[in-house]
Amino acid sequence: MTDVTSIATDTKTPALRIRDVAKTFSTPHGDVVALKPVSIDIKQGEFIAIIGPSGCGKSTLMNAVGGLLEDYEGTVEVDGKVVRGCHQEIGMVFQEESTFPWRTALDNVAFPLEAAGVGKEERHAKAMELLNLVGLDGFENRFPAELSGGMRQRIAIARTLAFKPRILLMDEPFAALDEQTRLLLGDKVLQIQQELNQTTMLITHNIAEAVQLADRVLIMTFRPGTIKRVVDIDLPRPRSSKMMGGERFGHFVATIWEDLREEASKGLLELEQVRST
Amino acid sequence: MTAVNTATVVPPVRRRAAGKPLLPPLVARLLFLVFAIGFWEVASRYGWINAFTAPAPSAIWSGFIQIIVAGELGAAFVRTFLEALAASAIGAIGGIAIGWWLHSSKKIGLAYTSWVAAAASAPLVLLYPLFLVIFGRNSSTIVAMGALGCMPPIILKAKDGLDGVRPVLLNVGRAFSLTPRQQFTMIQFPAALPVIFTGIRIGLLFAIINVVGVEFLIAFGGLGELISDLGDRFDYPAMYAAIFFVVLVSIAFFYLTEKLEIWLLSSK
Amino acid sequence: MAAIEQIGRGSSASAGKAKPASEFWTVTRLRIAGAIALLAVWEIAGWSGLFFRGVLPSTVFIAQAMFQLLTSAEFYWHLAVTSFEVLVSFLIGCSLGTVVGLVLGSRKYTGDVFEPFIHYLAPTPKIVFLPILLVLFGVGVWSKVALGAISAFFPMALGVAAGVRQVSPVLLRVGKTFNLTTMQTVRMIYLPALVPPLATGLRIGLGISIVGCLLSEYKLAKAGLGFLAGQYYEAFSVANMLAVLVIIFILASLGNTLIEKYVRLPGPGDVQAHR
Repeated sequence: MTDVTSIATDTKTPALRIRDVAKTFSTPHGDVVALKPVSIDIKQGEFIAIIGPSGCGKSTLMNAVGGLLEDYEGTVEVDGKVVRGCHQEIGMVFQEESTFPWRTALDNVAFPLEAAGVGKEERHAKAMELLNLVGLDGFENRFPAELSGGMRQRIAIARTLAFKPRILLMDEPFAALDEQTRLLLGDKVLQIQQELNQTTMLITHNIAEAVQLADRVLIMTFRPGTIKRVVDIDLPRPRSSKMMGGERFGHFVATIWEDLREEASKGLLELEQVRST
Repeated sequence: MTAVNTATVVPPVRRRAAGKPLLPPLVARLLFLVFAIGFWEVASRYGWINAFTAPAPSAIWSGFIQIIVAGELGAAFVRTFLEALAASAIGAIGGIAIGWWLHSSKKIGLAYTSWVAAAASAPLVLLYPLFLVIFGRNSSTIVAMGALGCMPPIILKAKDGLDGVRPVLLNVGRAFSLTPRQQFTMIQFPAALPVIFTGIRIGLLFAIINVVGVEFLIAFGGLGELISDLGDRFDYPAMYAAIFFVVLVSIAFFYLTEKLEIWLLSSK
Repeated sequence: MAAIEQIGRGSSASAGKAKPASEFWTVTRLRIAGAIALLAVWEIAGWSGLFFRGVLPSTVFIAQAMFQLLTSAEFYWHLAVTSFEVLVSFLIGCSLGTVVGLVLGSRKYTGDVFEPFIHYLAPTPKIVFLPILLVLFGVGVWSKVALGAISAFFPMALGVAAGVRQVSPVLLRVGKTFNLTTMQTVRMIYLPALVPPLATGLRIGLGISIVGCLLSEYKLAKAGLGFLAGQYYEAFSVANMLAVLVIIFILASLGNTLIEKYVRLPGPGDVQAHR
């Protein structure tokens, strides 16, 4: 893995800079502000988590940064350069099942390399390396349907790593998994992220997950979404799910919940109003 | 290995309490067939039924040998096979293209999908005299009728399949900056393939039905013409043999594609 | 034939959605444009000289020919013959299909043994049986009736058998707890559940018996619309032939629409939804 860790580190300009990114959707019933201007600077190798109630525009933000959404206000910079649209330096992991059911684990991971025209042998060698990295060696010839949800999500992560993107965006990557798998996979992601020194942005609605993984947790408000508060998680590294019982851990969870509670209640209230009408 | 395997406890399937049948269904089915053929043979030999218009199975079998030896059956089969193949190739390519077109825009889909659905249930084969006028009495008419018959189901299933591709898979492609062409060949088409295959399978059946039907009606081409000719020659044993051959070939084809479809859908 | 059902169902579900008014007009405009485009292609192809003269007659001539047909007594004789064949074959094929479907669906072992025959015979080309039927029933209407009936039988039998099996066992148990007689069970539980498969079977059966009857008329007959179209073909009066075809299509879709509209007693989802 030596070539992987040798990503240039520039301490001055942030690896990822989000400047006043905002989005308003126009619908037949008028305009809906999904995201009020959001600005975040993320250092090289930093792991941030964005947490917020449903409907706070987390996914909109993620799509804007990842390039799936191109029509937004503000700018996204990678190493000081403005990017818009999908970019090889930014990898995305999705919440939904996103492995290709007709490809084996190996071919799933090799998918982006194949699209980029990398020869068969080279891409298979690279894909094997990545499967090893996520701990799926021995499963390369299985189809997704033969593997568990956690294993499939690890394939998706390995696939995202194919081009060794400097920046990794993860949109609730563990949402579809059960609690234990989620914790173990979280440890795995942390380990890989440390190994590759990747700048990572995780979107989640699970507080413990955010505390377990992130250096900073950004709490978002309910619609229209924007950043309400930033909590620095100064728990020591390397971290693991074993820390969950700790006093500091509990303190962070409680702090975040205090802020989040208010926003989540707003969301719930709105939902109930919609239901009752 | 950190794979977490959630073992689910499956309650035992409750079977309908019933007396166990004497024979397994497959054996009973075969026995029934043997008995029916045997009865037909006896009935024909003893003159209970007209042995000229309904020849005995043994006579039909010799008729079968006769058209094989004469080379008529083989030639006719190859011809029908090639015509059906050409028809379904045209139908599949055209059908997938039109299905793609209906999928590409919501408005176009809303406007014209119901037209295709209407065509799928309309007796299109009745239009063959028109094609006969346009193309003349030759293979083009047969292939055109086959293609026309197999296109509507392929169009509908291609549209359904492409509509049903999960958005997240398309997003994966976009995240890796795939070209529109790659997006289609590497994601949309393989993702829609199981559904498109259902359409192609139905389309192939319709193509075969139309090809053999039109061959028979215009007495030109392969197996259909053979049946028509043998009938005109009053060679009923051979005619029955050719008819049963057509039926068996379509059954074999239907069976194989059915198994293939189940395999495709289960392995995903 | 079950495949056709699937297709029909899928597309009707997507068409059933309510659409906003502006979309309705866009779609209507597109449809009108599509219809005009198709007609224009026909006319231009006819005038272009790409085809032999008279092969693609102008729609004006086809309309004229239709008018002449509809005002001639001879046409109604052929129409009557074809209608008779279609109706009788439809009735025979569908009632046989319903009975066989009921038996195969409700008796598991019988179904296991005999249904594969029907399942695998269903998608074979029935027209090839015509020579046998001509020998057995003669050149007149009865060979056509036989072919139409054979054609209509298969989708009906398969549809009804599948429908019977879909009836929720819970409902049957409910019936048992109220001590329903067999006839009551059929009338109060099976029949309402069977309306959707019956409707589909009738619709496909009608279409397919029309095809069976007309194709056999094309091949060999003394009367009927298929025979008439064949005669016009022989005489190369294409406009007349097309006029007959257009009338056949209009009548076929009319029958289709009628069945779709009126064979819908209780809501289709009422009994089957639970599986």
